[in-house]
Amino acid sequence: MRKRRIGYAVWLLLAAGLYFFENNTGTRIILLCSVLFPLLPVLREAFFRPDESGKAEAPETLTVKTFSRTEEEEPGDVRAYRPGDPVRRIHWKLSAKKDELLIREAAAVQETAREERREDVSGKGRKKDPRGRIAAGTAAGLAVCLALLLLIPEARLGAQSLCNRLFAASEAVNAYAYEYFPVPEEQGTALAAGLGAAALLAFAALVVLLRSRLLTLGAAAACTVFQVYFGLAFPAWVNIPLYALSALWMTRRPMSRKALTVCCAAVLLVSVLVAALLPGTDAATEAASEKVRDALSRAAAQITGTAPEEADGEAETRHVHTQSLETGNREARTEREYRLVTVEEEEISMPHWVNWLKMILLLLLSVAVVVLPFLPFLLLNARKKRALEARKAFASENVAEAVRAVFQQVIAWLEATGSGAGNRLYREWEDLLPDSLPEGYGARFARCAEDYEEAVYSDHAMPEEKRQDALRLLKETEEALWKNAGRRQRFRLKYWMCLCE
Amino acid sequence: MRSQLEAVLAEAEKVITGKREAIEKILTALLAEGHILLDDVPGVGKTTLAVALSRAVGLSFRRVQFTPDVLPSDLTGFSVPDKASGMFVYRPGALNGIHLLLGDEINRAASKTQSALLEAMEERQVTVDGNTYPLETPFCVIATENSVGTAGTQRLPYAQMDRFLVRLSLGYPDYEAQMAMLRDRQGVNPMDTVQCVLSREELIRMQREVRLVTAKDAVLDYITRLSMASREHGAVEVGISPRGALFIDRMAKARAYLEDRDYVTGRDVQAVFRDVCAHRVLLKDGVRETTVEEVLEELLKQVGNPDRGSVFPGMRK
Repeated sequence: MRKRRIGYAVWLLLAAGLYFFENNTGTRIILLCSVLFPLLPVLREAFFRPDESGKAEAPETLTVKTFSRTEEEEPGDVRAYRPGDPVRRIHWKLSAKKDELLIREAAAVQETAREERREDVSGKGRKKDPRGRIAAGTAAGLAVCLALLLLIPEARLGAQSLCNRLFAASEAVNAYAYEYFPVPEEQGTALAAGLGAAALLAFAALVVLLRSRLLTLGAAAACTVFQVYFGLAFPAWVNIPLYALSALWMTRRPMSRKALTVCCAAVLLVSVLVAALLPGTDAATEAASEKVRDALSRAAAQITGTAPEEADGEAETRHVHTQSLETGNREARTEREYRLVTVEEEEISMPHWVNWLKMILLLLLSVAVVVLPFLPFLLLNARKKRALEARKAFASENVAEAVRAVFQQVIAWLEATGSGAGNRLYREWEDLLPDSLPEGYGARFARCAEDYEEAVYSDHAMPEEKRQDALRLLKETEEALWKNAGRRQRFRLKYWMCLCE
Repeated sequence: MRSQLEAVLAEAEKVITGKREAIEKILTALLAEGHILLDDVPGVGKTTLAVALSRAVGLSFRRVQFTPDVLPSDLTGFSVPDKASGMFVYRPGALNGIHLLLGDEINRAASKTQSALLEAMEERQVTVDGNTYPLETPFCVIATENSVGTAGTQRLPYAQMDRFLVRLSLGYPDYEAQMAMLRDRQGVNPMDTVQCVLSREELIRMQREVRLVTAKDAVLDYITRLSMASREHGAVEVGISPRGALFIDRMAKARAYLEDRDYVTGRDVQAVFRDVCAHRVLLKDGVRETTVEEVLEELLKQVGNPDRGSVFPGMRK
């Protein structure tokens, strides 16, 4: 478990690093998927091993105790043991009484566990657990903060003003345009900011206190959606620990199946939608990662000694290009920065050998395109040639060789039409040949098989009649099988197997 | 089939009815100069068969009933001091001077006796006190093992089983055969009517001819692939040894000769494979779901037979 957690943290760091260096929609989705990653085993459990779901639900001794109480009241919730049932769910006491293994039904366990959970979360006084009470208090605080934010007009205006600022910040770095809230310029935001911060704090405390994967996941997903939607990436040093911590927090315990499925699907859907509809790049992260990349490649160049002359005026060669963007609704002009890259920079990100590789690939591709249309014909021709070569042996001076070739042709016919008997000696095929073959064929086949054995296994010189016998058998085989073959099979026999003259 | 061998079979069938296949196999093993292990229940005619065969072929015959106190020197002979000459004189044992030895219940003998017999079988000579005495040619041992009543027995070790060319079993006769046998025995003992139809010299010539039967590379390749596949089979602990492969070849040749052919075919190999290999293959400990016979059948099914040879170009010829 611990190893898995470390592995996951490393993976997450990698994903975040990718996000840092290639800040675009794709990497954001990768990061999001990485966050969702710990849910995979739980999902698998939920969908492919429904029998085990109860186990994930009721790890606490408390629920088990409750369970056994209901069990004693209702022994009907047990069923006979089937191989594959988890040993933990065996009802030992009842099993001992009835002298057969009994299994507690999953539904009963889940039901009790869910009730337990609900009581635990709402913390309505009955439970003595202080954490539940604190959590309830925090949740109440969060609700109060949000309600105040919405109800007090000043706070609401302040929140809207904050939102406007957010929009402005987003527009400054992205090619987006937002509908601003109609708020007076000099609106004070202190109250709204305070309430918002309190709400955020309460939410964070709730996440920590409840140890609920659902909440943690929701928070992480909200973070991602926020960043993706507004194109405002937090700095990497905030993002990486944020996601890593939330992911670690999530791996602590499995959660309920249904809730998990729903929220997973929702988060995935929303993020994909946002990513697909509102792509964008984030200038701040881009610039930071650009700097790191430059430093790295410069260090690499220094190590290899290939690029000693580092242009001091390189910074000046970067032009700031301002581009205006027309948006549909109003005449808003947003600005976006572009950099013109120098040749050296270009080479750092795409070395020469990449071009060579491209050219080689292109060459290969063109050759393939030229050859491809003729390939089937070449193949068929080669087969035909080989078949003709085999037929040449029929007239060979050496009768044994001819018998061999002819009989093998017979076998090829039989196998091509699915009448063969597989890996059996040909002498044993007699009884396994299909009934569609003419009367007495089996006996003639057996005789020829005997000749074939002599031709293959001995050095005897064979008389000419044997060749004639074999050729007669081949002719008979061809006629019978051709007559029985369907159109597709005939086509195959003629052009693919090249068995006909 | 060669007429002389046919005659031998006919003579043997006078006393054992309805066991033509088994007699054929024993005759084949005799032609292949091998030794035979009969694994059978008592009373199905093992001794009778051996006696009949020895009479029909004109071989001298002896029977040794193995018990735990049969000693190696009983078989190989021993030296005794002669008072008149003051020298040690060699007294031949049961193995000397005979062609066909029926060793009854070989698994009841002490292991030292077993090993003495098996050494003699392999080398066809006995050595006593440094003097080597060659045994008669042909020399063939037909040993029997009872599959029931194994109390107080020493099972033949695997290494010694390997020296027998074939392991056969006669089995009970069917209804007709048994009726015929009972009817035959009403008057004279049919054993007395068995005639010598094949001389010892002719048998030796035939054994020489068997060795000259052609086995082409296709057949040898098949035998090699079969034995290698047996070693790689998942359920097999010890597969077919090189000696086993050699014995398959010899037995197949003898079978081809019996069928009046001077070349070995894939069919010969398949026909002798089970009898030659059943006692050479050891399954792994704890393999319950399959038997040696099934494994051998599986091998025959899986390993591409030599008839196919050039139909599939990818297969080695």
